[in-house]
Amino acid sequence: MSQFDIQFTFNGETISAISGQSVGAALLAAKQRTLRKTRFNQKGRGVFCGIGVCFDCLVVIDGASNQRACITEVISGMKVQTQVGTNA
Amino acid sequence: MHNVVIVGGGPAGLSAALTAAVAGAPVLLLDSNPRLGGQYWRTPADNFGDQNENHFDLATGLKLINSVKAQSNIQVLSGAQIWSASHKDGVSTLRVIYQGSEKIINTGNLILATGAYDRSLPFPGWDIPGVMTPGGVQSLIKGHGVVAGKRVVVAGSGPFLLPVAAGLVKSGADVVELLEANKSWRWASSILVLLENLSKIKILENLSKIKEGFYYIEAISKGKVRARFGQAVVGAYAGENGELESVDIAKIDRNFKIKKVRNIKCDVAAIGWGFTADTSLAGALGCKQVVAKDESVVVLIDSKQQTSITGVFAAGEITGIGGSELSMIEGEIAGKSAAKFVGCAVDISRSDLIIRAKKQRFAAALIKAYPIKSGWRSWLDEQTVLCRCEEVDLADLKDSIVELGATDSRTAKLLTRCGMGLCQGRICGRFVVDLVADQLNISPTDIDRIAAVSRPIITPIPLGVLAAGE
Repeated sequence: MSQFDIQFTFNGETISAISGQSVGAALLAAKQRTLRKTRFNQKGRGVFCGIGVCFDCLVVIDGASNQRACITEVISGMKVQTQVGTNA
Repeated sequence: MHNVVIVGGGPAGLSAALTAAVAGAPVLLLDSNPRLGGQYWRTPADNFGDQNENHFDLATGLKLINSVKAQSNIQVLSGAQIWSASHKDGVSTLRVIYQGSEKIINTGNLILATGAYDRSLPFPGWDIPGVMTPGGVQSLIKGHGVVAGKRVVVAGSGPFLLPVAAGLVKSGADVVELLEANKSWRWASSILVLLENLSKIKILENLSKIKEGFYYIEAISKGKVRARFGQAVVGAYAGENGELESVDIAKIDRNFKIKKVRNIKCDVAAIGWGFTADTSLAGALGCKQVVAKDESVVVLIDSKQQTSITGVFAAGEITGIGGSELSMIEGEIAGKSAAKFVGCAVDISRSDLIIRAKKQRFAAALIKAYPIKSGWRSWLDEQTVLCRCEEVDLADLKDSIVELGATDSRTAKLLTRCGMGLCQGRICGRFVVDLVADQLNISPTDIDRIAAVSRPIITPIPLGVLAAGE
């Protein structure tokens, strides 16, 4: 098993990850399961399908909203934030 | 123009690419994943090291992937997302986002191998973080070295639950429940169906499948997991943090109606009901789709794997759920057909057809062994979310029918926005058709089912990417 070799932030908190992991996988490994809040009922959502189909794990990455955490590769220094609604 | 364009880098697409290239046709292989292999042979980045321990027979996949990479007349574009496609006068046009900009690919000779994803059914609480698909849990382990939780419930129906439970046990998770909704005797009956169908041939022909089953059962037994039959997860509850804390597990009757419920603590529930073919691309091109025995929508093909459009072929799960071995032989046949179509001297052999027929029989027996019965509809309450994207619940859907007079699923969808969010009904489309018909006391038509998977945009993309292009 590989060792943590990169760091990124989630809502300002530093998270360690392994190169090649997705943002969603790295966040789940760090016990972060709520990745967005829905736009009508503000309900928490997280990784569901895990393969880019369901669009439920949307996060804001370096200011860009609607990024699928499960299929976006994590990069050192990324700033990831919970997406609230459409983040508009 | 490339000679043969193939979409999908899983068992079917890889087999098609290698076969067409060996026959002499230059191949362009488009895959949305960062690494070839598809969902079945999903592997992490190279820095994760040897993965053979985490897979049954990964060697077959790696051999195929390496052969594809070594073939000089195959060009692979990994991480290529097709967002739109059309077909006119013998030419298919694919609009692809690759490395941040749009690429337009025109081809007269296309093989679709776009695969499948987990089939989900709704129940109260299925949108709570921690409730996942088995495929999602599996992809986290196989692709990222991450175990989704500590106490995991694996539930639903179908043979795929076994490898997922096995993968979790191997990765150190506690699989607290492994629940198959169908009764155990169905397993026995599936073996009988197999024997019946295979009696004229040899039981040995599916030995690899039997070996695979034992491999998973051995792994699961090491984790002291006991499979229970005739049980399902019918409710999920969040703790104060809004994340999964426990699930309701019900004993269900043969029609999936709830008999008795117990509650169990867990942090992840991996629940799946077989698979749904992703025919979005085939649909956008105009390939004829049909409703299969399991009521899923699949791409219609002829014996050469050609779709209703001349020069457009399809292979693997999009032609009907059947597993990796069927996908591979279908890919080989499609690869030969496509190569022949561009003038290569190659023919489908009798043995190709025999192998495909054997694998099809096995797939048909499995579908028979794991039916999804209508009783799941009684698990829902009025507030159960149906469309996760647009937050449409059962009460909204009923309202569109009772108060607003919708008489088909398409109208109910337009009135509620159910299935009109970012996933474009990939998760809810299939079961909403059943729920609408249920309310109207009618049976869904094939037109309803096919309309539910029609998606003008194949993958939503930011408009900025297009603006940055031409």
